[in-house]
Amino acid sequence: MLPVGFFDKAKAVFGLQKDAHAAKSGPAPRGERTDARKNKAGRPPLPEVSGAASATIEDVLTARAAGSFDEARAILAAIDKGQGLRTVLRAAAALEAHDEEEVTKLLPLVKKDSPAWQLRLQVAAALDAGPGRDELVQRAVKLGAPGWSVAWLRALSSDGDEQRAGLVDLLFEDAALARTVASRDLGFVDIKADNDAIRRYAAFAHGRDVIRRFGASHVVALLGRVDAPSP
Amino acid sequence: MSRPLLALYRLDRTKLHELSAKLRELLARDDRAAIAALLGLGEELARRLSAERWAVGLMLRPDEDPQASPIFASLRRVAKRASLEHVWTSESPALEGRLRAYDVLREESDIADAIDRLLDAARLPWFLQRPGGTGGWLGNDHRETLAKRMEQLGPALPDEVNAFVEALGGMDGDALVHDRL
Repeated sequence: MLPVGFFDKAKAVFGLQKDAHAAKSGPAPRGERTDARKNKAGRPPLPEVSGAASATIEDVLTARAAGSFDEARAILAAIDKGQGLRTVLRAAAALEAHDEEEVTKLLPLVKKDSPAWQLRLQVAAALDAGPGRDELVQRAVKLGAPGWSVAWLRALSSDGDEQRAGLVDLLFEDAALARTVASRDLGFVDIKADNDAIRRYAAFAHGRDVIRRFGASHVVALLGRVDAPSP
Repeated sequence: MSRPLLALYRLDRTKLHELSAKLRELLARDDRAAIAALLGLGEELARRLSAERWAVGLMLRPDEDPQASPIFASLRRVAKRASLEHVWTSESPALEGRLRAYDVLREESDIADAIDRLLDAARLPWFLQRPGGTGGWLGNDHRETLAKRMEQLGPALPDEVNAFVEALGGMDGDALVHDRL
């Protein structure tokens, strides 16, 4: 029987199994060559990761929760496909680690992330109410965020009046999504999530939840770099 | 259980928009007394509304929810009275199937597109959408164009479709079709 416990999985992810050396000789995932990676600042290379194909963002979050930030970055480097949430988190982690070389490399990919409004709203949804959150929403609106997405964010507010107004907006913008958000996010037990909206709900909510667990402030800092005017 | 019949209405978009905006404002303020008055609710239904955490919570319940169902019926009745004028009801339960699938209609892409928009419930306000129901609307210009184009195909169309074309072309203004109002 194959080992399936947490530590066995972690060993596989972090390349600590006996055959890890053999695994290292396989092809590096999509342009990553951590063994040959040079760092102008003299920074030691990130830990090597085998079993990358089976690693997930959940493994990244688990490593970070355990305080293993370098391992988390190594997993991100291995599973990054050059777009989407993984690239965003990889860049945010690099920024957190003051790895300017990697940040510079990844920023253009984060800038290309589409639709641009979505990431800003996901980050805003992961933040508590305040000026930082409001500013991200304004940026998302300028980038074309649809009415339902802004209404959803309002519906998640910790302020009761704001939450109700957002839920009403969502009902009139996208009733199926409003039912799903009310059921899943706001705890209305008599309201049923709508199957038509669950896919959209899951895509947005997954990003929000991952960013919250990762540490939204790091992604906010990254977006500050992304949205900064060009010199 | 008999299959519902498609009915055709003249739609007053301005009136429907006004009702929708009013309801939205009252729900956002959670002014339950005003919502009850707008929907013409009796004492018992008004009490149900006031027992909720928020009125919008009741509006998000399923169409068949026993607490909410009579309130949805009142809302549809008010919307119908304010913005719809009945023009015609088909005698044939087969009409929707003919419109959606009859090959002579489907081969004409402009006609097929217009019919699909006319039968697209997602274009209606949430309170006129019903699970399993059919509904949708077309603006006056598109209604006239669709009626003329379908009329040209008349000899090749079944009787129930030709009856629909006659009603669609014979009315004026924006058109709304629905099978459960």
